[in-house]
Amino acid sequence: MVQLIIRRIGMMILILLVVALLLFLINEGDPTLVARSVLGPYAQPEQLNAWVIENGYDRSVIVRYFEWIGRIFAGDLGYSVIYKRPVNEIFWDRLGNTGILAGVTFVIMVVIALTLGVLAGMKEGSLQDRSISVFSIITTSIPEYASAVFLVGIFVFWLGILPGTSSMTSGFDPVQMILPVLVLVLYGFGYIARMTRASMAEVMTTPYIRTAVLKGLPYRRIILKHALRNALIAPFTVIMLQINWLLSGVVVTEFAFGYKGFGALLLEAALRRDIFVIEACGTAAVFVAVFTQTVGDLGYTYLNPRIRFK
Amino acid sequence: MSDKKVLSRDPRRYTLPSERALGAETHSYMPELCDQLQTGKISRRDFLRQATLLGVAAGTAYAMAGMPGGDVIRSASAGEPKMGGVLKVSQRVQAMDDPAIFDWVERSNVARFMVEHLSRTRSDNITVPYLAEKWEASDDLSTWVFHLRQGVTWSNGDAFTAADVAHTVSRWLDPAVGSSNLGLFGAMVEADADGVKRGIPNAIEVIDDHTIQFNLKQPDLAMPEKFYNYPTAIVHRGFGVDYEADLASNPIGTGPFELVRNDVGEAAILKKARDWWAGPFYLDEIHYYDHGEDTNAWVAALASQQVDMIYRLPSDAHEAVAALPFVDIHSVTTAQTAVMRFRVTEAPFDNLKLRQAVAACMDHAELLEKSFQGRGQVAENHHVCPIHPEYAELPPLKRDVEKAKALLAEAGYPDGITIEIANGDTEGPWMTDACAIFKNQAAPAGINIEINKMPANQYWEVWDKAPWGYTAWTHRPLGTMVLGLAYRAGVPWNECAYDNPAFDAALDDADGTFDVNERKKKMAVCQKILQDDAIIPQPFWRSVYKAANKKVKGLKVHPTLYHQFHEVWLDDA
Repeated sequence: MVQLIIRRIGMMILILLVVALLLFLINEGDPTLVARSVLGPYAQPEQLNAWVIENGYDRSVIVRYFEWIGRIFAGDLGYSVIYKRPVNEIFWDRLGNTGILAGVTFVIMVVIALTLGVLAGMKEGSLQDRSISVFSIITTSIPEYASAVFLVGIFVFWLGILPGTSSMTSGFDPVQMILPVLVLVLYGFGYIARMTRASMAEVMTTPYIRTAVLKGLPYRRIILKHALRNALIAPFTVIMLQINWLLSGVVVTEFAFGYKGFGALLLEAALRRDIFVIEACGTAAVFVAVFTQTVGDLGYTYLNPRIRFK
Repeated sequence: MSDKKVLSRDPRRYTLPSERALGAETHSYMPELCDQLQTGKISRRDFLRQATLLGVAAGTAYAMAGMPGGDVIRSASAGEPKMGGVLKVSQRVQAMDDPAIFDWVERSNVARFMVEHLSRTRSDNITVPYLAEKWEASDDLSTWVFHLRQGVTWSNGDAFTAADVAHTVSRWLDPAVGSSNLGLFGAMVEADADGVKRGIPNAIEVIDDHTIQFNLKQPDLAMPEKFYNYPTAIVHRGFGVDYEADLASNPIGTGPFELVRNDVGEAAILKKARDWWAGPFYLDEIHYYDHGEDTNAWVAALASQQVDMIYRLPSDAHEAVAALPFVDIHSVTTAQTAVMRFRVTEAPFDNLKLRQAVAACMDHAELLEKSFQGRGQVAENHHVCPIHPEYAELPPLKRDVEKAKALLAEAGYPDGITIEIANGDTEGPWMTDACAIFKNQAAPAGINIEINKMPANQYWEVWDKAPWGYTAWTHRPLGTMVLGLAYRAGVPWNECAYDNPAFDAALDDADGTFDVNERKKKMAVCQKILQDDAIIPQPFWRSVYKAANKKVKGLKVHPTLYHQFHEVWLDDA
C-alpha cells in the first residue's frame, strides 16, 4: 500500500510538471506576447523589446520555466495585468469563495444523491425507482447555463423572491447562494444518484442479501447494515470526481450569477489574456484534478479489499 | 433673437452685446453660418454644432438658433430634483490607473466623476464647452485656442490652469505613456528619425494661466470633439511627475466625487466629497458593481433590484426587461456599427470585382430586422451615419443577385467561391446572427460564406490582420473623425489596409471645409469612393439602450454609453 501511495504521488507530481510546462509554453513561450499583455495594445515595438530585455524574457524558455516553478514553490504567483495586483491577493480569495460554493453544493448534493440513489436501488423497477431515475436523468441532462436561465426566470423575473446575481459586493449573503447552489445540485446530483442506484440494485441481488431476507431480518436493518456499505463503494469514485468538477468546473455557474469565484477568475483571465492568472488558475485546476483522482484511487483500493495492487 | 433680424454679413449684427461678450463673433465664418440658418440651408442642429465648434458660447448658440437648452451643464428637468441617494449601476469594474491609457469606456465612466474634460459631447451629439469655457479656431482650422474656465480647483486645492492641460496633452503625445490619443491627435504628431511617433515641437503653447493654444500641422475640424474621447480626461499637472500616474492611489480631480473603493472585478464606490464648480450634483454616491461578462447576470441584477441601472441593455433581453413594471428602457440613435471589412491587400479580397460582388448581395434592411430586431437604421457601406452633420445622402443600395453573379464572373469566379469571415461577437451574439443571415443572402450568387466564430478577445488579436472580419466600431460625433481613423492610408486603425490617394485627398478637402453644405458635397465624394471600392459591406447602425429603475430620473443615454449623471436624481432619495 505504501509503495502504491508513493507511486501515485510520484505520478501526480510528474503530471503536474508536464501540464505546467504546457501552460508555461502556451502563455509565455512568445516573450513579445507577454510584453504586449503587460504593456497594453498601444505599446510600440521599441517599448516591447525594452520590456523583454529588462525582465529577462530574452533568455531560454527552459531557464524561465524552472525559474517560474521556483517562484510558485516560493508562493509568488506573479502580477495580474488586469487587477493590477499580485495574483496571490486575488487567487486565494477567489479559491476560498469557490470552496464555499463547492462545499455547500457538495454536502447537499451528496446527501440528496445518496438518499435518492439508495431509495431507487432498493426496489429496482418500482414506481419509486422509475420516478427518481427519470427525474435525475432530466436534471443531469440540462446544462447549467440553461437551468440558470430557467431558475432566474422563475425565481427572479416571475416570483421576484430571490436575488438574480451572487456577486456579494456588500459582504457575504447566504440568500445569494441559493440559485447557484440549486443549479449545481440539480446538474450534479443525478450522476451520483444513478451510480448509487445501480450499485444498490446490484447489491440487492447478491446471495448474502437474499439470505438476510430469508432469515427474516427487518428490511430497514438489511438496507442500513448490510446493503448500504457495499453499495457505496462504487459511488465513492464518482463523488471524488465531483469534487474536481466543483472546484474547476463551476465556471458556467459562477459566470451566470456573477459569483466571484475561481472559475470566473479563470474565465476572465482567459478572455482578457491575463497570463499570470491563467497560469496560477490552470496549475491549481490541474492539481485539484490530479489530487482528487489520486485520493479517489487510493480510497477505492482501501474500501474494496478485492482489489490488490502490488 | 428673431430670425428676421439677420440681414447682412456683419457678425455684430447677429448678436446682442451680451452674446458678443460670450464669444458670439469669434470666427469669421459666423455670418455665413447665420445666413445658412436663416435661409434654411442648414438645420438648427447643424447650426448649433457648427457654432459651438467655432467657439460661440453654447448658451449664445442655442439662443441664436431659437432653441432652449443653452445651459452648458443642465437642461430642463421633469419634476423637482431631489438631493441625495445612492445610484447603483451594473458595469464592469476595471483598473483605475492612468486615464491616458484607458482602453474601455467603463473605466472612463468611473473616472469621469473625478477627472473631467475640456469639452463635452451631449447626448444630442452636440459638443459644448466644459472645463474650457470656449474655443476659437483659425480660419484654416490649424490653430485652436482654448479659453479655460476660471475658478475651478483641483481636489487638492490647486487652481485649474493651462499648465494642467499642457501637461496632460504632453503626456498623450509622449510615446512612452502608450496612449491611444497619440493616434487620435494625429495633427499634432510626427514620426522621429527612428520612426517613433511623438508630439511635434510647439504643438502645445500656453498663452496664459487660462489660455492654451494648439498648433496643428494640418487642419483638424474635430478638436473639440476629440477632447471628449474616453482617454482624454484632464489630469493634474503633478500626475505622473510628482506622484505615480495612478488615479486610484492619487485621486486628484476637478470633479465632485472621490473614489473610496475600486476593487477590480468587484465594485467601485464613488462618494461626493466637495462642491462642484458647475453647481449641485444631486447624487451622494455612485456604486458600480461588476457582475461579469454575462449580460444575463446584469439583467437579473436589475430585475431583482440589486442595481438601479445596467451599463447596456443587450438586444436579446428587451422583451424580458420591458415586462418589468418598475423599469424604464432608454434609447438613443447612434453611429455605433459593425463593418464586414475586407483587408484589401489579402487575396482574394485584393480583387475589386469580388468585393463588389459580395457587397451587391447585401440586403441591409433584412439584416437590421432579423439580427437586431430593427433597432437602428440601415447603413450604406461608407461608414458615415445620417446623424453625422456632414452626411451626404447617396442613392439607396439595393440587393442585386444578378449583378453579383456577373461581378463574380468578372472577378474570375464564374463557378462561385467560398470565403471565410472572422467574427468574435465582440458586441453580442447578434453579430453571429448577422453573419448567418448574410451567408444566406450571398448563397444565391454562388458565394459560400463560412463563419469563423472565435472568442471576442481572440478577435481583437486578429481584427486588423484577418483577411475578412466583422469589426464593431463605436459612435463618433463626426463622420470625418471615423473616416480619418479607419480608412486614411497608414493610420494605425486602418484595418482594411486601404490606401487610396484619391480618398485621402477628398477627406483632407472635407476636413478643411467649414461650410456645412460644402462639406456635405465633399463628403459625398468620400462616401462614394468607399462604396465603389466596396471595402466595408456595412449592414446597419445600432441604436443603444439602457434599462433603469423608474426611480432614476433625468437619465439620458449617451451614444457612446458615457455616463453623464449631473442631471440624474433618485425619486426615493
